[in-house]
Order: sequence, then C-alpha cells, then structure tokens
Amino acid sequence: MSPTRRRPRPILALVVANLRRQARDRTGLFFMVVMPFVTIAFVGLALGGGSGGETRLPVGVVAGNDDPIAAAVLEELEASPDLDVERRDSEEEVRAGVREGRLAVGLLITPGSTELELVMTQTNGTGMAARSAVDVAVGRVSAVLEATRAAEAAGATPEEAAASVRAAREDSAEVAVRTRDGGDQGSDPQGFAYTAPANLVLFTFINSMAVAAALVETRRLGMVRRSLAAPVRPGTVLAGEALSRLAVAVAQALLIIVVSALMFDVSWGDPLGVAVVVGAFCLVATGAAMLVGSLVRSPSQAPAIGPPVGIVLGMLGGCLWPREVAGETLTTIGYLFPHAWAMDGLLTLARPGQGAAEVLVEVAVLLGMAAVLLVVSLVVFRRRAMTLR
Amino acid sequence: MTDALVCQDLTKRFGRHLAVDSISFTIERGEAYGLLGPNGAGKTTTISMLSGLLRPDAGSVHIAGHALTQDPRAAKARIGYVPQEIALYPELTGRENLRYFGRLYGLPRRTLQNRIAEVLDLVGLTDRADDKVGDYSGGMKRRINIGAALLHEPTLLVLDEPTVGVDPQSRNAILEGVDQLVAAGMSLLYTSHYMEEVERVCKRVGIIDKGRLVAEGTKRELVSRLGTSDRVELVLDGDITAAAEKLRAVDRVTEAVPTGTSSVRLLAEGSRHLLPSFIAAVEGVATITGVEITEPDLEAAFLHLTGSTLRD
Repeated sequence: MSPTRRRPRPILALVVANLRRQARDRTGLFFMVVMPFVTIAFVGLALGGGSGGETRLPVGVVAGNDDPIAAAVLEELEASPDLDVERRDSEEEVRAGVREGRLAVGLLITPGSTELELVMTQTNGTGMAARSAVDVAVGRVSAVLEATRAAEAAGATPEEAAASVRAAREDSAEVAVRTRDGGDQGSDPQGFAYTAPANLVLFTFINSMAVAAALVETRRLGMVRRSLAAPVRPGTVLAGEALSRLAVAVAQALLIIVVSALMFDVSWGDPLGVAVVVGAFCLVATGAAMLVGSLVRSPSQAPAIGPPVGIVLGMLGGCLWPREVAGETLTTIGYLFPHAWAMDGLLTLARPGQGAAEVLVEVAVLLGMAAVLLVVSLVVFRRRAMTLR
Repeated sequence: MTDALVCQDLTKRFGRHLAVDSISFTIERGEAYGLLGPNGAGKTTTISMLSGLLRPDAGSVHIAGHALTQDPRAAKARIGYVPQEIALYPELTGRENLRYFGRLYGLPRRTLQNRIAEVLDLVGLTDRADDKVGDYSGGMKRRINIGAALLHEPTLLVLDEPTVGVDPQSRNAILEGVDQLVAAGMSLLYTSHYMEEVERVCKRVGIIDKGRLVAEGTKRELVSRLGTSDRVELVLDGDITAAAEKLRAVDRVTEAVPTGTSSVRLLAEGSRHLLPSFIAAVEGVATITGVEITEPDLEAAFLHLTGSTLRD
C-alpha cells in the first residue's frame, strides 16, 4: 500500500471531531440516551402497553359461575385472538381498571339477563379495538342462542336443539366480518408499538436540532474558516459538517429501534422499509439542523429554537398522542411537515405483511423535504461560515 | 530556491469599498516579515487572501512557488495559518485538536503522532496535552492555536495578531516561541497591534493603510524616512503662536507647529543639546514648563506615514 493511501480523509477527521464533541455533552447525552426511553415507557403504558404484532387487549369480565350465557360469552371471548380475558369480582373493580387504563374494556354479565353491559372510555385508544372484538364474540353467542330457540320452536328438545346447532356450526362455512378501520391499512399499532416510532421521530428531530448548537459554535469559533485554510475543498468541509449531524441522527434512531425492540418487545416490521423511512427522516433532521445551525447567531439560540419547533411538529405529526385525538384539521396541517409522513411510514411498516413497497409515497415526500432543507442549509452555511464577510 | 511568498497586485473589493488596493510584497525563505496597519487598514483581508480563504478580485499569490489560484492544495499545504481568534474545539483536548488539524493536512498516523509530541513540546503544553482546551488559560490557548499551524511543517507561518488578549507572561512565552521558529529558519508573516513585537520579531516591515502598502523596508530604512530628527513636544505658558515662530528660527529645527492651546511640536536634530536655545528663543513671549523628546523609531515612522497611531 502506498503512503498516500494511508493518509486520513479530512472528512473523517471532521466527523470524528464532531462526534467526540457530542459525546462529551452530558446534557445532550441525557436527552439522547435516557429521555426517549423514559417517554416511550410512560406514554406506552398510558396507551395500554403492547408491542405490536400479537397484541392482546385486556378485557375485565364480571360474571356468575353457573350462568349458561356467561359461560358461552366467556368461551367466545377466550377464543378471540385479540382479547385477554381477566375475571374480576366486582363491577367497581372493572370500572376502576378501565378508568386507569389497565383494562381496554369491561364486560358486566348479570346472571339470567341477556343484556350485557360494556364499560369503556372514549380516551382509551385501545377501547374501540377491544369493543369490536367483544361485539364479535357476543354476536356469535347470540347467534347460537337464536338458532337454539328456533330449533326448540320447531319441536326439538333442548338437547336436540343444541346438538343440531353444534352440527350446523361444524358443517357450514363460517361467515365472518373482519374489522378494518382506518381504510384498507388496518388500525394503528397501540401501546409501545405506537410510542416507540413516535419517539424515534420526535427525539431524532429534537436532538438533531439541539446539536445545531455545536454547528453555531463551530462557526463562531472560526473553525470552519481555519479548516478551509488547510488543503481541503470547501465541499469537503460542508459534507463533513452535514455528515456529523447525520451520524448523530442515525445513532439516535438506531438506539431507539434496538433498545425498544429489546426492552419493550416492539416489532418494527420490514427492516428494509424501516431503514429507508428512518434514513430519509434522518436526512430531513440533518437538513433542519444545518439550517438552524447556519441561521442563528449564538450557540444558546439553537437549543432555544430547535426543540420547541421539534415538539410542535411532533404534536402535529402524532408523536405526542395518537392522531385520532388531534382531530382532522390538525392532522391535515401535520402533513405539511415531515413528522406526519415519517409516522405514517413507520406505523404502516409495523402492521403485519407491510413492506418497503407500501411506504414509497412517504419516503418520496421525506426525501423531497430533505433535499430542499439540505440544499438551502448548505447554501446558507457556505455563505455565513466560509466567507470573510 | 523560490521565495516563501510572492504576492503581486493583490486587490479585493467588498461592494463599493476597496479593502485591498493592489498590494505587492515578497517574503524570502527564512525571513520574518511584519505587516503593520491600523484597524480596518486591510491586514486581515490581505492575510485571508494569502491563506486561500478569500478569492482576490485581482492579483496573484505564490506560496513556495505554487500559485494559490491554480494549485490551491499544494499552496495551502505550505502555509500554517494562525487566525486572530482561538479557532480550536474547546470540548476536545489539546492533543485531539492537534490530531484533528494534522488529519486535515493529511499527515500519516505515525508522522502525526511524532509531530504532535514535537509541537506540544515546542509550545510547552506536553503536561496539559490531555486536558480540554476549554480548561486552558488564555495564553495556553494562544500557544496551542499556534501549535496547530505548525504540525505539517509549513514553509510560511502566517500569524494574525497572535498575542491579542494574553497576559504579559504568556505573551513573552509566545514571542520566545516565535523567536525560536525564526531562528530555525521558518518564514513568517506577522501582524500585530504591538509595534515592539514587530520590531522584535521581524526584519522587514510593510506598512498598510487604507488598503494600500504605503511603505516597506527594514526598521532602519523606514525610520530613516523621518531623517535623524527627534520629535520634541514643548509645553508652554504664554503666546504659543509667537513662540512657534521664534522656535522655527532656531538652528537645526526643521518644523515647529502649535498643537492645542499650550504646546508646540518640533522636529529637530540633536534636540537634547538645543534646550538652552529653545529657552532663549521663547523668552519674552512664553515660558517652557515641560519637555518631551522622542527619538526616531518605527512608531514615529508609522505615525508619519499613516497619520495615525497603530491602536487608532
């Protein structure tokens, strides 16, 4: 190998120096390494836990032991792949469980009555999904009861009626309705499966904006100009600064993906699709960081501007709460910004059977936004940091 | 051997403002050259163009024979640029900062390690090499700031006000370091507000004012432009105008101008021996209450050439 080949690349020197600086910023590290997981844990639990994939919604049931209707309903509920049945002793216990978010819904079965009472709240995002599953289970019990009554009306004994209904269920093809709310894509994941991607988008952007302060400091110190006095091209210095910010964004995103998968059992979906969506969003965050770092004058301004902007965009994009809570107007406004598109991409991929092909629109929009931000920010940065005046 | 620096008709305009107007000068190998000028004279703009940070509107720069505009990488590789500000990462240690700059200049790993050790020794910071630069004193920061420009063993070291804002002890340490570099044969371009630094470090001086190089030469050559006259400031009580007229008639006095309401400035040869003549000349119109004599020096030459002091 020739000696020239062993020479270090200036761009690498820039990236290494910037990453070292970032690693020594203790406040920055706290917000990068600790805060995302605290938020994922708390908000995830508030939204009912769950990690995507095979999520079962907890249903609290109060029912008598000898009631045939209760027994039939319980049998159907336990057979449901979407529900996790938890027997409770009292109505108060069920209502408290639903109110506090430990139960998605509650079901009160009064012995001898054919009217069941469903307990749910409007603010629990998992309630609607659980209700659908309970409706299906109760509907099946209701159908069996009606068929049995019809057989008895036709002259059969109760035993004969029950036997003929059982035979009819086994012989006939089952007619089922699958609930696919939210269009043809299925519902958004719940619990950790929602808060992990939400906080990936939120913290990748916020922390990228926060590291813009280091870029302002680099400008203020005259490091860019001094670096340009070395035999390097201006483009190398620009690329080194941008790559440093991209590396921080990618490190933040990877950390959240890996730790949330290990700690909260979050299933992110198709790795290629996730890589493409996250990569595109990291480019957006890099462009935004470069723009803020080029425009503001003092290092203290960047953290004062960046994170609040990141939080507002996160609210509009569904990172702080499920978008159904925000309403149509805010959700529509959210699509003007990258967070909503990144959330759409990641939530789509979290659903079973979805791959990179299903998020092409989201990726294209994110790459477009990234291109605009990067070009504008690099032009501004070059003007502000590289010229004498 | 080619000169360390040749700049020819260097010109830079910012909008309507002509910051540098057709400046030309040469620095020979091993020569220390001082660039003096008041604030806003065009020193930093000139240095920025010489260092490849600013493209000149006209003119050329050659560093060790390499044209800066045609072959910027080769030319820049032969310059060590020490900016006026402390351009270092405060979060990194002294050693890490040096490593960063060494990598920018493409020094191979082993060479870089050796050079870092040598430079740390030269600037006297070996024992603080692994402390963060943010924890250094002002003087230490200035020293490592210079060290970063020496790693790649440049042909020409450009020092832009290297002692601004440092305590006298650190300033002395910096100047001793610069003296060592000059003694070792380093070519140097030095700008400073401190005339005594330039007089100490540089053999030749260029005086820049309003974007033009108004004079250039050794200290002796520049001072000789004033002739051998001393500047004498007489403080008088009486008729200043009449006293100035009588003083002008004294032998070996070439100039006598009233300044303010109570003083007259003279240019005179051998003024120390003329005091009795001055007293006799003003007798009857004024009384001399104070005398200040300044012998010809670079400061006087600068004042004479630019009409202002360096710190104006």
